[in-house]
Amino acid sequence: MRKTFVAAVAALAMTAGPAGAQEKVVKIGVPLPLTGAEAKFGEMEKQAYEMAAEEINAKGGVKGHKLSFDIQDSGGKAETATAIVEKFVSINKYPFVVGEYSSQCSYSVAAVAEKYKVPYLVVTGAADKITQQGWKYVFRLNPPSSLYNMGVFSFFETVAKPKSIAILYENTDFGNSTSKAMKEYCKAKGINIVLDEGYQAGAVDFKPILQKVKSLRPDIVYMVSYLMDASLLMRQSKELDINPQAFIGGGAGHTLPEFLQNAAEASEYCMSATLWTPQVKYPGAKEFFDKFKAKFGKEPDYHGVEAYAAAYVTADTLKRAKEWTAEAIRTALAATNMMTAFGPIKFIAWDQFTNQNRMETLVLQVQKKKYETIWPKDAASAKYVYPVPRWRDRK
Amino acid sequence: MTPQLAGQIELFLQVVIAGILLGGLYSLIGLGMSLIMGVMRIINLAHGELMMVAMYITYLAFSLVHVDPYVSLFIVLPALFLIGAGLQKYLITPVMDVESVLPQNQVLLTVGIGIVLSNLAQLIFSADYMSVPVSYASKTIYWDVNVGGQTISLSFNFPFLVAFAIAIGLGAALFLFLGKTDIGRMIRATAQDKRAAAIMGINTKRITYITFGLGAALVGAAGTLLAPVYYIYPAIGGPFTSKAFIITVLGGMGNIAGAVLGGLVLGLGESLGSVYISLGYKDAFGFVIFVLVLIFLPKGLLGKSSV
Amino acid sequence: MTKKAVFLVVPALLVLIFPLAFENPYILHMLILSMLWIVLGVSWNLLGGFTGQVSYGHAAFFGTGAYATAILVKSGQPPATAWWGLLVGGLAAALLATFIGWICFRLRGPYFSLSVLALSEVLRLVALNWKEVTNGAEGILFLPAFNDKGAYYYIIFAIAAITIFAVHRVMKSKLGFYFLAIREDQDAAESLGIDTTKYKLISLMISAFFTGVAGSFYMNYMGFIDPGIVFDLSKISIMMILVTMLGGAATLWGPALGAVIYILVSEGFRVYVGSGHLVFFGVLIIVIILFFPNGIVGSILEAKGRRDRRTDNKDPKQVAA
Repeated sequence: MRKTFVAAVAALAMTAGPAGAQEKVVKIGVPLPLTGAEAKFGEMEKQAYEMAAEEINAKGGVKGHKLSFDIQDSGGKAETATAIVEKFVSINKYPFVVGEYSSQCSYSVAAVAEKYKVPYLVVTGAADKITQQGWKYVFRLNPPSSLYNMGVFSFFETVAKPKSIAILYENTDFGNSTSKAMKEYCKAKGINIVLDEGYQAGAVDFKPILQKVKSLRPDIVYMVSYLMDASLLMRQSKELDINPQAFIGGGAGHTLPEFLQNAAEASEYCMSATLWTPQVKYPGAKEFFDKFKAKFGKEPDYHGVEAYAAAYVTADTLKRAKEWTAEAIRTALAATNMMTAFGPIKFIAWDQFTNQNRMETLVLQVQKKKYETIWPKDAASAKYVYPVPRWRDRK
Repeated sequence: MTPQLAGQIELFLQVVIAGILLGGLYSLIGLGMSLIMGVMRIINLAHGELMMVAMYITYLAFSLVHVDPYVSLFIVLPALFLIGAGLQKYLITPVMDVESVLPQNQVLLTVGIGIVLSNLAQLIFSADYMSVPVSYASKTIYWDVNVGGQTISLSFNFPFLVAFAIAIGLGAALFLFLGKTDIGRMIRATAQDKRAAAIMGINTKRITYITFGLGAALVGAAGTLLAPVYYIYPAIGGPFTSKAFIITVLGGMGNIAGAVLGGLVLGLGESLGSVYISLGYKDAFGFVIFVLVLIFLPKGLLGKSSV
Repeated sequence: MTKKAVFLVVPALLVLIFPLAFENPYILHMLILSMLWIVLGVSWNLLGGFTGQVSYGHAAFFGTGAYATAILVKSGQPPATAWWGLLVGGLAAALLATFIGWICFRLRGPYFSLSVLALSEVLRLVALNWKEVTNGAEGILFLPAFNDKGAYYYIIFAIAAITIFAVHRVMKSKLGFYFLAIREDQDAAESLGIDTTKYKLISLMISAFFTGVAGSFYMNYMGFIDPGIVFDLSKISIMMILVTMLGGAATLWGPALGAVIYILVSEGFRVYVGSGHLVFFGVLIIVIILFFPNGIVGSILEAKGRRDRRTDNKDPKQVAA
């Protein structure tokens, strides 16, 4: 507690003082929400960028330059994010922009970047539309939200074969587009959607709607939620003794370390679509997780590793770029083909997507208070438990 | 009775129970706002932030010295009282004293206070979501009732039940305090007519400090009771401030029994609405009830607008 | 008169030639946002400051203006729609104002304030859930018509100038007199034969119209809206009050100054203070209200009024208008 406060004061002091710049530095602009409701994720990503930059610089930096991320607070507001990028481009003259968190802000930043022909790497904004505009300068590291469920679909087809499903989602861009993909899949496969409701994030009590879910007896309860809604949904499902074959989350809330603490025993056997777990077999994944945890005293989730990987993609791009102009960096970024702790990164076009990284998404399950990867089989760290035991049958 | 009908009855009863228990918490949030609005005629936009402060105090007490949240009420209530009274004395009263075009500058002051509180919390505690993981967070009491040959199983969440009991208890205590004690009577007199109260020899300034302190303490209690079942982060206050408005106006500004009733109506409206109409419009029910009450019962559900 | 004209014309000319001299998109962006907030502050002030009807839900008009234009553009109209879409946005908001006024003007004081807030939140939830029309939380995308910031700069400058001029004219007219009378004492105004509901409604409609135009401009300029952005209580409705009160409610130029403080000073804090910048901004609000309880312009005018009264007995009310 005290430490963070001291760190905050130190950060204040540092930003006020002039930076002693003896060595050559290459600066890359990163807008992130460091205040407001999304600040938790902004903070985690900031730490990941800075940790990656330290590592890169310890190994000699980029072409003799020190890599430095100029991280600016957007407060999660689209017009501030726009302002930051306008400043990056026109005043700081950064040739490359990386980051932002929400789809809303990422989209606004992307529009500005495209306008000024400055390459922009989207790191966590997941709405499909961002890479469906045919934009030349906008690249995305994370899969679009409609693909978050791919692992779950294959799990359904091979193992679960559910007949009915109840869908609850947070009424935001992310919740809407992720659950929409699930609905379309269910319709195509003839899975009966018994309930389909969006809710306002931050509700205190989900018991009424869960009670309705209980009375409908679906095989699967599928939820797209942010952190605490996820914990509340699971805790209250346990209280109400709702027993489907499985609870499955659509990413986000159900994959965060805090979910395990807050939902406690109610999180057991809960599954979720996810982009990443510390057990993935990509080089550096576990090392990243352990180092981050040791350094900041908290566990990173996939947002953290996305930012960490983005930093490495940035360094790699800068190394390969012939010169550090927007045009040369764009060309280098488009040719990216590398392995990161988050997974393989390569920007391709398919369907309506352009400059979009495509990767396998996973399914995890909480087992003995730990996240285990259960699907696809070749990536699994533990065998799935399905159907899950009834609440009252657990010890 | 068919199992389907029993299922429907179970659903309905469970939804009503959830609504009433949640309503108890809402009442507590509304009581503080109602008191402040009734006496000072100002809208306190930092109400939710005061609740956030109480939640962090509860969190600190729990995580540093393992004080149970219900015990930490004894720390939170006086602490929030002092914070509230201090804010009133050093910030709001000086502004109230000035003759201004619109009294809304006090409201703006509370906006500023809210911004400072939530961002200080972020500097100190970081933006991480914190929770108070008590062992009884999901403890549930089940009650099986036999109706017409079918078993209906009802569940009551323990922390919500306790919160409900404490909320009603605090509401009753406040009611007695305002009705039976000298200070309570002075608060009511100030609410009815500030100038007359001053002429009667009441130190109305001191009364406003006490009122704001009490209001802060009440919403603080709500924060503490919410901590075991909810979560804590710096920007949590906003939505609760607007809930507090609705409750206050539903019940009539400054009406204690009204605030309790307003909280229950909001809790029930939200839970019934989310099941029987649409979850997406859940929050709209509160606002619609609110506007209807404003139009048809402009003095609130219980008719009187003074304390 | 001539002296006053010089005070107005010279800064206006400076603002007009500014984009020609500095073609920096970041600075232009900040100025465009400042002028957008000038429009919002000045139009809120007509209802809240001059007429004394404090609205906590002006985001309703901002959002309606934005959505009206967005839906119009998305329904397949040619891109030039963006131009007259501004008018459509304003008119949609004014239309909504008649409905909101019809409901909320039955109420007074804090009850009025909160009822507008409630309706504005209901509208946000409708925009969020009525997916067929609004596309729900995914929002509406619209590729900006102009690539050049200068065009937006001049459009918003024109809107701001028209808004200020309109409010100025209204307050010089008989309407303005009625508005002030309603603010000072609604019952007394009523007993003088002023149809207070009618004039409050007119004030609300004018205020809503310009707020709607601003919302429509925002949509055109940012190219993307969703219910959480344009119907936001704390980022739009409350900030409109903040902007007005900081500069000075019931003064012509107060909200404009407030808007500039809100946008430029908070951006300055953001850039130079780093983490914790909002604490500084919050403290600034508190300090301004403590030392200038009527807002900066309001308190200065008041002090000047007091001095003038001592010297030549000028009517302070005139200064305020």
